[in-house]
Amino acid sequence: MTRILRLTLNGRARADAVADNLLLIDYLRDAARLTSVKQGCDGGECGACLVLVDGSPRPACITLAAQCEGAKVETLEGLSGPGGALSPLQRAFHERLGAQCGFCTPGMVVSATALLRKTKRPDEGAIRAALEGNLCRCTGYVKIIDAVQTAAAEMAADQTAEAAG
Amino acid sequence: MNAPARTATRAAGTRTPLVDGIEKVTGRARFTADLAGDAAVARILRSPVAHGVIRRIDTTAAEALPGVLAVVTGADCAHPFGVLPIAMNEYPMARDRVRYRGEPVAAVAAVDAATAARALKAIELQIDPLPAYFTATEARAPDAVLLHDDKPGNVEREVHHVFGDPDAGLAEADLVRTATFTCAEINHAQMEPHAAVAEWVPGREELIFHSVTQVPFYTHKHLARCLEMDPAKIRLVKPFVGGGFGSRTETLNFEIIAGLLARRTGGRVALVLSREETLISHRGRPETEVTLALGMRADGRLTACKAEVVMRGGAYAGYGIVTILYAGALLHGLYDLPNIRYDGYRVYANLPPCGAMRGHGTVDVRHAFETLVDRMAHELDLDPFTVRRANLLEAPLFTPNGLMVNSYGLPDCLDRVEAASGWKERRGKLGPGRGLGMACSHYVSGAAKPVHWTGEPHAVVALRLDFDGAVTALTGAPEIGQGSSTMVAISVADTLGIDVGRVRVVCGDSATVPKDNGAYSSRITFMVGNAAIGAARNLRTELAQAAAAKLEADPADIDCAGEVFSVRGSAQSQLTWAEVVAAALAVDGPITVKGSFTTPEKAQGGGHRGGAVGSTMGFSYAAQVVEATVDVDLGRITVDRVWVALDCGFAINPLAVEGQIEGSVWMGMGQALMEETRYAEGLPLHASLLEYRVPTIADSPPIEVHIVESVDPLGPFGAKEAGEGALSGFPPALAAAVADAIGLDMDALPLSPDRVLEALVAKRRAAQRAKRREDA
Amino acid sequence: MTEALADFTLHRPESLESLAILRRAVPEARLIAGGTDLLPNLRRGLVDAPALIDLTALPDFAEIEPLAQGALRLGAGLRLADLARAPELAGPRQAVAEAARGVAGPAHRNAATLGGNLCQDTRCLYYNQSDWWRAANGYCLKYRGDTCHVAPQGKRCRAAFASDLAAPLIALGAEVALAGPVGERRLPLADLYRDDGADHLALAPGEVLIAVHLPPFAGLSAYEKARQRRAIDFPIAGVGAALARVTGGWRLSLAVTGTDSRPVAIAGIDDALDLPLSDDMLARIDKAVQKQVTPMRSTMISSHYRRLAASALARRLAQRLAEQARDAR
Ligand SMILES: Cc1cc2nc3c(=O)[nH]c(=O)nc-3n(C[C@H](O)[C@H](O)[C@H](O)COP(=O)(O)OP(=O)(O)OC[C@H]3O[C@@H](n4cnc5c(N)ncnc54)[C@H](O)[C@@H]3O)c2cc1C
Ligand code: FES
Ligand code: FES
Repeated sequence: MTRILRLTLNGRARADAVADNLLLIDYLRDAARLTSVKQGCDGGECGACLVLVDGSPRPACITLAAQCEGAKVETLEGLSGPGGALSPLQRAFHERLGAQCGFCTPGMVVSATALLRKTKRPDEGAIRAALEGNLCRCTGYVKIIDAVQTAAAEMAADQTAEAAG
Repeated sequence: MNAPARTATRAAGTRTPLVDGIEKVTGRARFTADLAGDAAVARILRSPVAHGVIRRIDTTAAEALPGVLAVVTGADCAHPFGVLPIAMNEYPMARDRVRYRGEPVAAVAAVDAATAARALKAIELQIDPLPAYFTATEARAPDAVLLHDDKPGNVEREVHHVFGDPDAGLAEADLVRTATFTCAEINHAQMEPHAAVAEWVPGREELIFHSVTQVPFYTHKHLARCLEMDPAKIRLVKPFVGGGFGSRTETLNFEIIAGLLARRTGGRVALVLSREETLISHRGRPETEVTLALGMRADGRLTACKAEVVMRGGAYAGYGIVTILYAGALLHGLYDLPNIRYDGYRVYANLPPCGAMRGHGTVDVRHAFETLVDRMAHELDLDPFTVRRANLLEAPLFTPNGLMVNSYGLPDCLDRVEAASGWKERRGKLGPGRGLGMACSHYVSGAAKPVHWTGEPHAVVALRLDFDGAVTALTGAPEIGQGSSTMVAISVADTLGIDVGRVRVVCGDSATVPKDNGAYSSRITFMVGNAAIGAARNLRTELAQAAAAKLEADPADIDCAGEVFSVRGSAQSQLTWAEVVAAALAVDGPITVKGSFTTPEKAQGGGHRGGAVGSTMGFSYAAQVVEATVDVDLGRITVDRVWVALDCGFAINPLAVEGQIEGSVWMGMGQALMEETRYAEGLPLHASLLEYRVPTIADSPPIEVHIVESVDPLGPFGAKEAGEGALSGFPPALAAAVADAIGLDMDALPLSPDRVLEALVAKRRAAQRAKRREDA
Repeated sequence: MTEALADFTLHRPESLESLAILRRAVPEARLIAGGTDLLPNLRRGLVDAPALIDLTALPDFAEIEPLAQGALRLGAGLRLADLARAPELAGPRQAVAEAARGVAGPAHRNAATLGGNLCQDTRCLYYNQSDWWRAANGYCLKYRGDTCHVAPQGKRCRAAFASDLAAPLIALGAEVALAGPVGERRLPLADLYRDDGADHLALAPGEVLIAVHLPPFAGLSAYEKARQRRAIDFPIAGVGAALARVTGGWRLSLAVTGTDSRPVAIAGIDDALDLPLSDDMLARIDKAVQKQVTPMRSTMISSHYRRLAASALARRLAQRLAEQARDAR
């Protein structure tokens, strides 16, 4: 069956005709051309496809597009700041080498974004817990943890500065 | 010294984020599968049988399905491909015989995935089974059917090398020990599954080919061969690549298949493999059995080594000959050990072909070696560090098998990790179930003789300078996440005295960049780095001439730093980059220069058969200490922390060097703790990321990296490799930590909970038996 | 483009009544909640489903409701991420939260539900594979074939049930509320399962699990799972334990998941134990578990290991809870 799917994608309202059996990952990659959403495994095992659905990370490869009716969906493309400025997390992943080949990076940044929206200064344990479903084969995770910590510190410093100013 | 002093204005030695990093963190990076767009969907039909003769493939029904655009089979390509010109025995799709379950036999292109899947089902395939062999022992049995008629005993290659007098060496030893280690087969499991997007341009009869490859040049050549095309009609593009680790160091069957399908459809075809198919494509580290004898004097001095290595290589040659040669060659070059005997056997079996994987050839042998050294140190009551220090080399030298060693930072590496880990103070005092272990390792900085010998330089980099003032570096070195483009940018910027941001690196498009052999054997920094420096020097010469003319000075006295040209010794006469560029272009228009690198003859290894493998311009050296805790109820090991020091000669980009060391140590951890493939009659039981276990962040320890800089006389800025050398030290360091923690010696990898628990139970039983015997 | 899923129609009923109507109208429809178990299986071609019924819009489906005397009702639609941090599960019943926290990865837990976890399919190395793989292997007893590759002599499927939540919930004496064509019924959770990997749920046709009821409980509980990686992996053996004061001593309830085609409630432990637990008692617990679980070669790790791990975890949890109980006194 086909239906009209209405959702908010990276801040913009959209309506698309989708088949009931369309996976969210295929909708995002093929219909919306948001190719940051990566297919790293045959379903639910690697975290490369994570996107935010109403603020929580979800594996797009084992989610039906139709299950996102009315939802707010965000992909890595939608996480940059105004004018395409790098978010603190994006900048930290870049500057601290949290991304080597970059294939796991979209999922990593999505998970880390959800974490930092909820927890201002997560400790290392909290970062590990938030990223435990995201596999990376390049970094050994060392610099990924560093990147999240760096971004968190920067965001906290910005807020303090804002509060003071 | 050829290493630059670290200063704020020098690019070399400065922590530099990757020049292609922004794309990766914003989602703009396009990987091969992201380019599929509206391309036809291709799928491969794979053999369900492990070994058999193809009786019939009937594709008529599939071809007749609406929406099917093309069907190809083994009949469409009569050219084998492979790594070594002497060992090409694999066809993109099996022709008469299938030799492993999952081997491609046919492929389709269709308007969508559902149609492609239906088409595969409609292909009739009839195979008469032959006896199949899934272990090296079965395959070597005297009456075994041969996988390849020209390889008696199913042995792809036997190697027998003797250097010095191993028997005399063992006779001199105070302690001789022998042990057999079994290391499971593992896979690269790079996060990006394999993919190719191929476009046929009708009319011009050209092929535009995008692939996940680490070796665009080899794939270009093999496409031309297998498709019987003029290479000039192929354009090979390497988009962003999601890791390699050796999985893409050779042309793979799916690449040729995508080319064949594109030509047949006359359009664009996307062949994106599933994770299962990617794991079946394999080329990973083979299951390896190492039987090792070592002789040691009471003071820890090694006297001799005898190693017999049997590798189960899978169904086709691939890199097999190179792997079995590496395994023996890299017994040399780490320690001062003159007496070495090596017997290696690479065996065919009805399993997916093995290949090159990070630490190619050395990892399992190094594991055996370091583990046995650790046990013997224990027996002789010597500290493992003391034993290593008793066996150090003194550079410069040539090893008994003719390998060139010009720089040797291992002593520093040992000092650094011994101090950082608190080895002396903490070892033996960590409490029950906890232990420290250490090991050393090394790896080549590029094979001094490439597998495809053309007589050309090993690396060429071209630079362009035009009116915009940007320096465009053209390199064929495939950036696959290891940071090679950034290394090129830094090398060029440093040599010219300009900002890294002024250098634009173009890589991986055969239409624009000079050929490069590819990303393997850790060759890029050493070879391409030197070529980049050479090119930049040539450009500098032209710029210096232009500047000198304007400043009325001798070109030899012109310096450029911070994008300002000046005459040495004079503070006044200065020119900006733009001024000098304008002056230089006025001479003869836009400037194109190149630099190249060729390995000297003496670096190319010993004269014995197979002596080229292992030969290199320089070795990286590493030492590491691993702290681990063993849960004896569950047999489960926790890696608490790692301290690693690696001598990379000089860290051109310390940020990337750290990343490479962390990644390689961690990959060694995966192999040591949990990774293994397993087959049921040749069917991969591990064909997913749930069953092929890549460690999660929750399994991964902090890794403290120490960079040691021995400044190699021939390396670019003194640099050597950094991305492989530390890997092979991890498994033995962990095994040593486990031995230290609970007194358990393990002869198998991985140290998975079931193996550990079973070994513990066996040990307890043996102890009980011994006690009973004593009591009686 | 991933492998296309077989065609189906997705329904999303908003009341139990419309659910009941749908189930009568499309009896072959499959239920979907978080989809984290069903969709991987659909992608591998393990499920025949012309229609899916999405349960997540049902009313009161995702509520935690305190009942009289400290009993608790957990809606089947509760997400595991919510269970993991529910204050109602922070104290004596923390084993449930611990188990929820240990399921798969964080993103799965944001989608996965309690009901889906308890009704998830059984798993096996010869079953959770692609269609090509299974066809090459002649399929298997669980689906389309006639041999169990794990136990070819046997007559039944030996796929293992690997729900983390089942173990602590059974140890805590949970019951399930099922809604079906003939109304609602309650069943001890342990009785929801059958010892057959190919048909492991005792749900009647058209029945839906709507809630889990936990009886009043004032003791201590814990859950621990053995697995190779510390995240993502299913339990190769998981043990839920609950320790409560009873007349004449302490009662220890243990349930094991991941080893058999159903969760195993360990029987034969004395009704009233003395604390601290003697070495002899711990050895008996260990033996009881080893005897009562029957892992088969359905996982990469050996069945022998799974048996040893289950008993080691049971012994360890028993000891830990006993020590906590002593400290609390
Ligand atoms: C990589 C990976 C790792 C995993 N690791 C674990 C793990 O460690 N431990 C673990 O327990 N699970 C694990 N799972 C499985 C799964 O994620 C969880 O079991 C999850 O809780 C299932 O819940 P769900 O809501 O997503 O179920 P769904 O997929 O929606 O449903 C699962 C099954 O239950 C049925 N069902 C759902 N709700 C009901 C209901 N209310 N009444 C009757 N039937 C119903 C469905 O028809 C379906 O057959 C893992 C999955 C993946 C992909
Ligand atoms: S692609 Fe691997 S979890 Fe979705
Ligand atoms: S950066 Fe390559 S997989 Fe993570």
